[in-house]
Amino acid sequence: MSRTLAILAPVTLLIAVWWSVVIIFDIPHFILPAPDRVAGVLFDRLGLISAHATTTALEIICGLLLGSLLGFVVACLIGDSKRLQSITMPALVISQALPVFAIAPILMLWLGYGFASKLAMTTLIVFFPVTASTLSGFRALPSSWETTFQTLRPRRSRLFFLVRLPLAVPYALTGIRVAASVAPIGAIVGEWVGSSSGLGYLMLHANGRGQTDLMFAALVVLCAMALIIWSITNRISHRFDQKYRGTG
Amino acid sequence: MLLGKSGSGKSTLLDTLVRGSPVILCRTQRVAYLSQQPALLPWLSVLDNVLLGFKLRGEKILTEHRERARQLLHDVELPYFEDQKVHQLSGGERSRVSIARALIEDADLVLLDEPFAALDRSTKIQMSMLCKQLLADKTVILVTHDPRDAQDWFNEAMVLTPSGLKGPFDLDHFKNDQTLIQALDGDL
Repeated sequence: MSRTLAILAPVTLLIAVWWSVVIIFDIPHFILPAPDRVAGVLFDRLGLISAHATTTALEIICGLLLGSLLGFVVACLIGDSKRLQSITMPALVISQALPVFAIAPILMLWLGYGFASKLAMTTLIVFFPVTASTLSGFRALPSSWETTFQTLRPRRSRLFFLVRLPLAVPYALTGIRVAASVAPIGAIVGEWVGSSSGLGYLMLHANGRGQTDLMFAALVVLCAMALIIWSITNRISHRFDQKYRGTG
Repeated sequence: MLLGKSGSGKSTLLDTLVRGSPVILCRTQRVAYLSQQPALLPWLSVLDNVLLGFKLRGEKILTEHRERARQLLHDVELPYFEDQKVHQLSGGERSRVSIARALIEDADLVLLDEPFAALDRSTKIQMSMLCKQLLADKTVILVTHDPRDAQDWFNEAMVLTPSGLKGPFDLDHFKNDQTLIQALDGDL
């Protein structure tokens, strides 16, 4: 009950402020539509919005899965070697430092205007937080633990799979939680640069026709979708966290 | 016992012994190391943590190994804890599991790096007595900044000071705090 209240209270407050601003300042609907108008569009054009939302959701989910998998695998490959980390880290940082807006046109050129380029954008944006976070997991082994395990005369591969890797899992999950909150950026930017479906496309399309209420409806759906994806990721990662951190 | 101030290099010295001192390791094949933070894996049961060395070496865990581990858990006064997870244990219980692991490895040299530092006074005394009893036939180096950690167990201590290793000193010397401070500063 209190959990539902914790989610509903800020949303209700936001809607109340939004509505008040529209009424008090008498803002025209083509600048800032009132919440009831956006809700009306949402229900009237549910079919259209949900078709575009499905495209965006697929891009976000597939990008999140692929980016997380790649980020985790790369971190595992370089996590055990400081030398490999120092060689690959500049490339990893560059992959994050370049704004997705700058890369988007190139990806469109290479991968076309379809699903693949949006998947690549989302994957790229997800990849770095997962890699960086997993790598910090590999570095987090206390030195006294390393000394202890050393006395057990371990095989290097077994030490990696039985100790280092499971210890890095909670860190990877933290990275995935962060990535889940930024993954929609990749998909939406990709759709803005060039696409024929998706919420980003719908927003651009509505913008060009002065349909501000439809833009807002798409935005509301995007927010809801981002929240749902983040909550699911959070819930899944919490379960693994309990196991590998031993907190529950 | 090896005494030294915080930051004097006691843990580094032990780490060096474990990782590659030819002098120590040539003579002693099996070394066990217990630290203040017991290296127990939270996703494994207590029994599996005791048997971790076998798993890490890729050795097959036989019934006799399990029986021995259960016996050792009994010896460290954790007879009904084998299926519990680490987070269900108190600090003292975690230290006992580490001792059971050190014992199953049958180490000749046991290095204790302030293993009781995080425990309350009464648990410290219990653990010290338990170690004294169970590690009686081993060579033990206990590193600490507080000689009271194992006063009933050790008679003498070496002191790691800024000017080098000094001693051995009779532990009775250090019942007086002033003498202890002088010793740790290298002024004794």
